[in-house]
Formats: sequence, structure tokens, C-alpha cells
Amino acid sequence: MIWAKEETMSRTELEKIQLERLQDTVKRVYEKVPAYRAKMETANIKPEDIKSLADLAKLPFTVKQDLRDNYPFGLFAVPKNELVRIHASSGTTGKPTVVGCTKNDLDMWTECVTRIAVMGGASKEDTAQICFGYGMFTGALGLHFGLENLGVAVCPTSTGNTEKQIMYMKDFETTVLVATPSYALHIAEVVHKMGLDPQKDLKVKIGLFGGEGMTEPMRDEMHRLWGSDMLVTQNYGMSELIGPGVSGECPELCGMHINEDYFLPEIIDPNTGEVLPPGEKGELVITCLKKEALPLIRYRTRDITRLMYEPCKCGRTTVRMENLSGRSDDMLIIRGVNVFPSQIEEVLLKVEEIGAHYEITVNRENHLDTMEIKVELVDEGLLESYAALGELEKKIKHQLKTVLGIVASIKLVAPNSLQRFEGKAKRVTDLRKEGI
Amino acid sequence: MIKQLSVFVENEVGSLAGVTAVLKENKINLKAAASFDTPEFGIMRIVVDQPEEAKAVLIQEGFVVKISEVIGVELVDQPGDLDRVLHIIADAGLCVNYIYSFVLRENNAPVMIFHVNQLKMAEEVLKNNNVKVVNQ
Repeated sequence: MIWAKEETMSRTELEKIQLERLQDTVKRVYEKVPAYRAKMETANIKPEDIKSLADLAKLPFTVKQDLRDNYPFGLFAVPKNELVRIHASSGTTGKPTVVGCTKNDLDMWTECVTRIAVMGGASKEDTAQICFGYGMFTGALGLHFGLENLGVAVCPTSTGNTEKQIMYMKDFETTVLVATPSYALHIAEVVHKMGLDPQKDLKVKIGLFGGEGMTEPMRDEMHRLWGSDMLVTQNYGMSELIGPGVSGECPELCGMHINEDYFLPEIIDPNTGEVLPPGEKGELVITCLKKEALPLIRYRTRDITRLMYEPCKCGRTTVRMENLSGRSDDMLIIRGVNVFPSQIEEVLLKVEEIGAHYEITVNRENHLDTMEIKVELVDEGLLESYAALGELEKKIKHQLKTVLGIVASIKLVAPNSLQRFEGKAKRVTDLRKEGI
Repeated sequence: MIKQLSVFVENEVGSLAGVTAVLKENKINLKAAASFDTPEFGIMRIVVDQPEEAKAVLIQEGFVVKISEVIGVELVDQPGDLDRVLHIIADAGLCVNYIYSFVLRENNAPVMIFHVNQLKMAEEVLKNNNVKVVNQ
């Protein structure tokens, strides 16, 4: 099913709407946000200079630091009394980034999430459990309103107390699970530990995952744990832009459809800032087209992907962004080799003898980068001899070397000994950055 | 043959105690135990009175456990008896992977656990040479 007519418009029609909204947005920020006006004056650009979508490239970028520099409300384009909601990012370093919504922004956000929920297979017949942490994080409330709008029965269970979550899941006959992939994995483990079989004792058939990326082997793992007929999709967003609702996967699983009438995407070379042609891989940059409170212009997401404009088999004409290869912030450089943790995950999850959790520690010893990866042993068959366990370590090392070109030491640990996550997983520790 | 449990343990404080605590809590009696000095991780090998139950409770507590067969040999408590048995195995061209012994059994004869590359053949050879092979 497709929720909105905007999802199947012709490109010409869509681009017409995008240009009108872009011109309107640029005009508004120029008039109402001094920081934007100053940036545009420096770049010698006036709102009237935006005559086509291609002119977007003339506008300056917005980066996360701009939000911090204008903390809390400096980039807002409406007076504070127009706000009906304020969210903030966790802000692990320095001040958090604050985002706000007007009444119209909330409606638009709800519309975007509803489209994504429908794309992910949900309907009014469903019961959804939202296992995102409620609070200042946009994830939970975003999905909450979007699913309610669709007519889904929403249980705001939030995170924590996993056994109780599972009790509700069983007793309420929950059909839709909303969580980070990491937490969905953990819930499934606890389901098994409680002696329940998700395929027999539970009715969960749709996974709407977000908050962090999901690799293909991780999707396979979800099917293994939750059942092969579960529709496992991921969706994408970030609080600065709106929260969840920017894009999501349809059942064709060939990238995430961007709600393009509200979010105008570009791909740039992260080093030069130059716009790359369609289909090329680079950093995703998004311009908000209809936001009132915080309409960010050319916001650098730091996420690496590519855009696919070919129409999808599902019938939608909106552009698809490839599932993320990683955030440019997360990229590790190990002895000169660039590698994303998601690539390491793909290699690890294909090794059957180990579990789906891992911990990567990067360090520098004697001026050389070192990487240690802890993985949980699950295959009892290898306990016959030390040699078999040694072989497994060697095999994983070899895979990482041949697929990614990196050298890592592997440490086998006991099952369930690595940390489990209820929100976004933190699986990488880079001691070089932390200056230890 | 005797059923032995191999349990994966990490090389860190309390890891063996983690295994024995689960056995104690479930009133499972330990008959023999062995672990070796290894740098990264270890395999704790144990023989208990209720191997299947022990495996189930250990798995429930999150351990990786494998049950496999080993040969239990009753020895005579006098010089040269282990030597006699080892020679029987060597003379048959079989390779011993590891041995360890039962904890003291009151006034009973000592029992030694043997893991050999060809278990069935080893058991036969020992029996043919009048070595007393014991069961669980």
C-alpha cells in the first residue's frame, strides 16, 4: 500500500513542488534567521538567485556546529511562542543540539512517518510496540504519532525491563516492533532465554528499525531470530531534520525512499563539498522544504550513501538512498586503510560460529594502529580442542584481511558477555581519539 | 565411556568459579575437573554425576557447553600403573590428546580420564589388555 499521492508523482510534478518550497524556505530563512542571512551575504546569494533546483548548490552548507553555535534557538525561523514541541539530541560532546516544531511541523512529521510505516507493511489492523526511549530523543514520539495516525494501536513501552516488554508483546499480540536493530536483537535473545519461541508464542511480523544502520547480515540475523516471514525494514532520519521520517525501506528492500516533497537530497564529495552526479557515492546533504521552526538548508548529515532515481517496483517514484555504508564520523583509518564498522559487522555476521554482538577497540602501539575485536563464541562444536578455537580466530582474521584489508586480533569471549544495548549500540572504542 | 562436559571460559578472574557456582546451585556433583594454562581463553573439562542436567543449566546461564565421550580407566595406586596404560595406548599407535584424573574417591582406586584420537579403538585395546575401563 502507498499512503500519499506525492510518493508516486512524476518527477516533473515533484520537482515543481520542490522548487516552489525551496524558494519559499530560502526566502523565509533569509528574512528571519540572522545567521542564515549572514551566511548568504558572505556567499553573495540572494533568495531571488534560486531560480532552479540546480541553484541549490550555490547556497552555503549548514553543519552540526552551526546548531551548537546558535544554541538553543538561534537558527529558528519562528518566534518561540509558535513552538509546540522541543527536542534535543543526546549531545555526547558539548551542548546538545536543540530542535523545535510548530503545529504544522508536527503534522508534516506525522505524515512522513505514516508513509514510512505503511511502506514497512503496517496497517490499522496492527498493534505496535515502541521500544525506543521516550524523552528528548525524537525517535519514539516520531513513530508514535505516525503509527497512531495510521490507526495502529500504539503501546509506548519505551526501553528497559525487557522481560516485561516481552510479556506485553505476548499478551497484547503485538505485530509491529519498533526499535533500534541492536535492541531488537537483544529482545529476541531474551525471548529465547525465557523459553519462548518468537515464531510460535509471539505475533510480531513487522520490524520497523531505525536510530542506527542495519547491515544485510544483521537483517538475516533478525529473520533467524524473529522468523523468516518477518518483514524487516529500516528507516532513516535525524533530529536536526525532523527525526525519523526522512526515508524508509519498502518491501522491495532496495534502498530507502526519501520523502522528497519535504526533504531535498544531494550527494556531495565530503572533502571538496562539490555536488556529485546521480548514482555516485558521497555524503548526503538534505534541505528541509516545508519546515517552519527549523528549516535547515543543505544540512550535512555526515552519512555516506548514494541516490537511486530509477522508479521502484513498489510503484513509488521517490528517490531511494542506498542503505548507509556508514557515517563519515564513524570511519576508522587503520594503518591507512579506511573501514566502516558496518563493513566489519558484515564480515563478522557471516561467521556462523560466533554471535551477532561484537566490540571493536582501536589503539595505537609503537606508532602502529591496532584493532582488537571481541566476538562471542556460540558454536559448542569447537570445544573439542583448542586447535578448533584457534582455527576459528584465524578464519575470522583471514576474512577481515581478504575482504577489508585490515589486520585485527580476534578475542573469543563467552556468550552474553558483551554489552547489550537498548538504544543505539556503541560497538567501537577508539582509544587513539580519546588520547589514552 | 564417560560423558565429559567442555565449557568455554574466558581467561579472567572468577571464570572457573562461575561454572562451579552453577553446578553447586543445582546440586550437581563434580567428579573430575581439568583446565590448562592458556593465554586467552580456556576450555574447562569436567565430569559430573548428571551430565545432561549440568549441560542444560550451564546453557541456561549462558555458557557454551559440549558433551563428548572420554575413556575412564581405573588404575592401581602403585608405581608404574599409569605408565602401563599409556604404553598400551602408544603401542596401538594411538595418540593421547589429554589426560586428567578424578578427584579422590574415598578408598576407591584412582580413575584417570583419557582423551585419545580414536576413542572406540582405544577402549577396545585397553579392554583387551585387561585394563579396567569404567563408566559414568
